Amino acid sequence: MKLSRTRRMDATIPTASMADIAFLLIIFFLVATVRDVDRTAVALPGSVVREESREGAACVVVAKEDGRIVYKFSDGKRTALEVGGVNDIYLEASRIAHADSARQFVIKADADVRYFLVDQVLDTLREAGAREVLLLTRTKDERKGR
Amino acid sequence: MKLERRTPRAEIPTASMADIAFLLIIFFMVTTVFSASQGLELRLPDEDRDRPPESEEAVFIRVLPDGSVIVDCRPMEPEAILDHLEPELARNPEKPIVLYTDPDAPYSAMIAIYDVLAQAPERRGFEVKNLSVPTQSEVQEYIELFGLNPFEQSCR
Repeated sequence: MKLSRTRRMDATIPTASMADIAFLLIIFFLVATVRDVDRTAVALPGSVVREESREGAACVVVAKEDGRIVYKFSDGKRTALEVGGVNDIYLEASRIAHADSARQFVIKADADVRYFLVDQVLDTLREAGAREVLLLTRTKDERKGR
Repeated sequence: MKLERRTPRAEIPTASMADIAFLLIIFFMVTTVFSASQGLELRLPDEDRDRPPESEEAVFIRVLPDGSVIVDCRPMEPEAILDHLEPELARNPEKPIVLYTDPDAPYSAMIAIYDVLAQAPERRGFEVKNLSVPTQSEVQEYIELFGLNPFEQSCR
């Protein structure tokens, strides 16, 4: 007796939902992406208590880059640009503080810089008329104390 | 003879859609930065109104260059600061707390102590209402007024 020929089945991977998944991921990234005014890599100090910064807050960056201290400033709308020092920060900050005294200033500083540098920035902002400051931190793991 | 008319099926070619979508995903994955936008709030003093507190009525927290802490002339672990402040603020909730950080101390040491003070409501149920973080120029003003640095000399 002749056996009937075995039928070959086509091996297919169902790809109908692939586009759906892909577009879901795109929507996630579109929603989660925040346009940051500064992308300087800074090792922030850790804290347990963390408040959200206000929208449109100006930003002062004090970072270590290639062994030197770099200051950057952003008015909260444009990307942070390197400035010469605290005198330039004073000029920019006083312009902003005079226009809007309630504007928040975010200080993004490296955890291991001398406090003197942050103190200088705080002094500069105070003299410029700023009142509300946010010291940017990363989440601190309370259990590990790091 | 009757001719058969064939109507072509309307179709949108979707073969490349997944390619485009995955290209977009890769683009977003590479460019996305999850913004660090949280931290500790600090209110700077108003130069005209906020005067530094009188030294004898305030609690002085001093952060030394090595990051260690002295509270009212006593070396103290950061975790013990709230133990020290609790009875003081129970007697006088408006008692000024002065957090003075040595200019040579690391910035993270100041943040660590400031964070401990900010945790007081959650951990102990009291609030540090009157916190002063004097800057070096304020210290200079102090020196001009009183002839000494109260943060350096108060423990002698």
